[in-house]
Amino acid sequence: VALGGTIRGKTTTLRLPVEGDLETYNAWMADMRLRRAHRVWHEPAMPATWKERFKEIAKDKQTVLWSIDAGPKLVGFALGRLWTMRNGFDVHHFVIDPEEWRKGYGSDAALALHRYFFDYLDLRLVTTELRADNAAALGIADRLGYIEFARGHEVHYRDGAYVDELKLRMDKESWQERWSAEREYPPLAADATR
Amino acid sequence: MFGPRLDGRDGVSLVPSTLDDFKLHVPWMLAPEVGRFWGPRFGEMTEERQEERFNKTGEDESQIQWTISYNDEPVGFTGIFDIDWIRRDGESGIFIGRHDLFGRGIASEAIRLRTDFAWRELRLHRVHNWVAHANRGSRRANEKVGYKQMGLFRHSYFRSGEWYDEWLGEAYPHTFPDQR
Repeated sequence: VALGGTIRGKTTTLRLPVEGDLETYNAWMADMRLRRAHRVWHEPAMPATWKERFKEIAKDKQTVLWSIDAGPKLVGFALGRLWTMRNGFDVHHFVIDPEEWRKGYGSDAALALHRYFFDYLDLRLVTTELRADNAAALGIADRLGYIEFARGHEVHYRDGAYVDELKLRMDKESWQERWSAEREYPPLAADATR
Repeated sequence: MFGPRLDGRDGVSLVPSTLDDFKLHVPWMLAPEVGRFWGPRFGEMTEERQEERFNKTGEDESQIQWTISYNDEPVGFTGIFDIDWIRRDGESGIFIGRHDLFGRGIASEAIRLRTDFAWRELRLHRVHNWVAHANRGSRRANEKVGYKQMGLFRHSYFRSGEWYDEWLGEAYPHTFPDQR
C-alpha cells in the first residue's frame, strides 16, 4: 500500500491521505504562487479525475503519499518514490499551502519525514530536485544536510523564462552527523530482551 | 507512443516497437552480461506483463520509444521518457540487449538518430539522462551528439565489491553537432 502512515513532527503531522483532501490539493495545483515555486503534481481537474489519480497512487507499491496537517488543518502534502532496491527514496513533491508559508511548517514536516527515512526505514540516501530560485526550500534542504550533485540548466519554464534545477542528495551519514538526537523511539531498555 | 522509422548508417535503424520486440526484453534484461550497468535483474517479467507494458507504452503520450534494429534484427530499445511538453524536456535512455554486438557503434548511431529527432521533429528544448560513469562507450556516444556533464551521482550502486557512480548529462539543440 503506498499511502503513508502517521509521522509526527513538533508542529505538523504527516498522515494517511483521504479523498476529502483532494479538493484542497486541486486548489494548490491551481495556485500560481505554488506553481512558480514547484513542479505541479497534476494539473487542476474535476473531482472525478482526482479520485482516479488517488486510486492509481494507492495501487502503486513504490510511490508514497502523505498529507501534512498543522493542528486540525491540512497544510500540505509530500510524495515520493522508494527505490526498487528499497534503500533510497526520491522526494518528488513537498508542498506547503502558500497561505501557510513562513510559519516553519515545511521545516518541521521535512525533519519528521527524514527522521522516518533514516531512523525508521534505515535508508542509505534520499534525493530531491528544487528550482534554483526557491530560496525557502533550498534553505530547508541545506539545514537538513542535503548537498548538490548536479545542476540542470534551463529546466523549468515560468514567468516567460527558464530557471535551473538543482539535484540534491542527503546521505545517511549526514543524518547521523546532524540529527542523531532525533529518534522515532527511545533506546530499548537494557533488560528489554530478557 | 512509438516513434516512426528512422534509418541511419551502418545497418542501424530505429523502428516502432512490436509486441514481439517487447517479449525480447525479458531475456535481454535478465542476462548477467548486461547487468553491470543495468539492474536489478529481477521483476515481473512474464509475457502477460510485457503485453501490458507494450500497450501502456503505446498509449503513453509522455514518451516515445523505438526498437533498435541492426541489419533488420531487433537488438535493443531506446526512447525519450517523461516528456514534459510545456517545458519541452525529456529523459533519454538506451538499452542494447544483444551483448554479442557490443562495441559495434550501434548505440552511437541510435543515440544520434534519437537526438536528431528530438530537435528536428519534436522541437524539444532539452533532453537529459543518467549513464553509469564507468560505461565509457555509452557516455561517449552521448557526448558525440552534444550531451554535456551536469553532475555526478557518487556511489549510486554496488557491484562486485565496488561502488559505481552515475554521470548525468544534458543536451540542447545548440549543442548538437552540425552534420551538414
